[in-house]
Amino acid sequence: MGRKGVEDELEVLTACGVGMGSCLILRMTAEEVFKELGLRAHVLATDVSSARGMKADIFIAQELHTPEFEGLFPVVISVKNFIDKKEMREKIAAAMEKAGWKAA
Amino acid sequence: MEGRLRTRVALHAKVRVPVSDWEHAIRAVCAPLVEAGAITENYADRCVEIVHEQGPYIVVAPGIALAHARPEDGARELALGAITLAEPVAFGHPSNDPVNLVLVFASPDKEAHVGLLASLARHLTQGLGERLLAAASDAAATARLQEVVDDVGP
Repeated sequence: MGRKGVEDELEVLTACGVGMGSCLILRMTAEEVFKELGLRAHVLATDVSSARGMKADIFIAQELHTPEFEGLFPVVISVKNFIDKKEMREKIAAAMEKAGWKAA
Repeated sequence: MEGRLRTRVALHAKVRVPVSDWEHAIRAVCAPLVEAGAITENYADRCVEIVHEQGPYIVVAPGIALAHARPEDGARELALGAITLAEPVAFGHPSNDPVNLVLVFASPDKEAHVGLLASLARHLTQGLGERLLAAASDAAATARLQEVVDDVGP
């Protein structure tokens, strides 16, 4: 198995209530941040009920939605501000390190 | 741009709208789009109900709410609306209250809006919220929204 985000593409889910609004905003921000961090990631936006049956390396949603997903995905990230790349970058970098996936 | 296929989007924006609470704010941002026939009254109702059902997750950033419902709830056209509020209101969000900018979008299917929202996300990251809040007239705010539409990719 290669390093996550380097040899192996990270599978990432962004989720929101309906699955077609705020999770798309979140996906855009996440995609830009992964690019800036030099990580390979495939980001999919979905609704929270579909997300319960899906697999991914990283799950990203608002703090209102993340508690029930703790333990369902290796990494669960709560984001307050969906349009703040700085918050997203810090949280993704910290989560990658915590998961032992620290990129080069 | 010559020869470029323009995305058709029903647009409206209003500034400094007085509202009594978050439900009123969502109805106020929907009303002109209902009037224009882009969305139905049911769509506006569903925008409110979704927050009752799923919580105020639509407050995507400090001060900014992005209301919407599903295509089958009464989205007739691709649409984007915005209002800035005369006085901010609380949506009950743990971090991002109070809200002073309410956006709404509608999409006739599950795909048509993806490019529009990508452009909206880019513009919001680059200060669209502040520019809308600074807009002194409805026309100025509508022009800011038009820039989002103009940047929708092919």
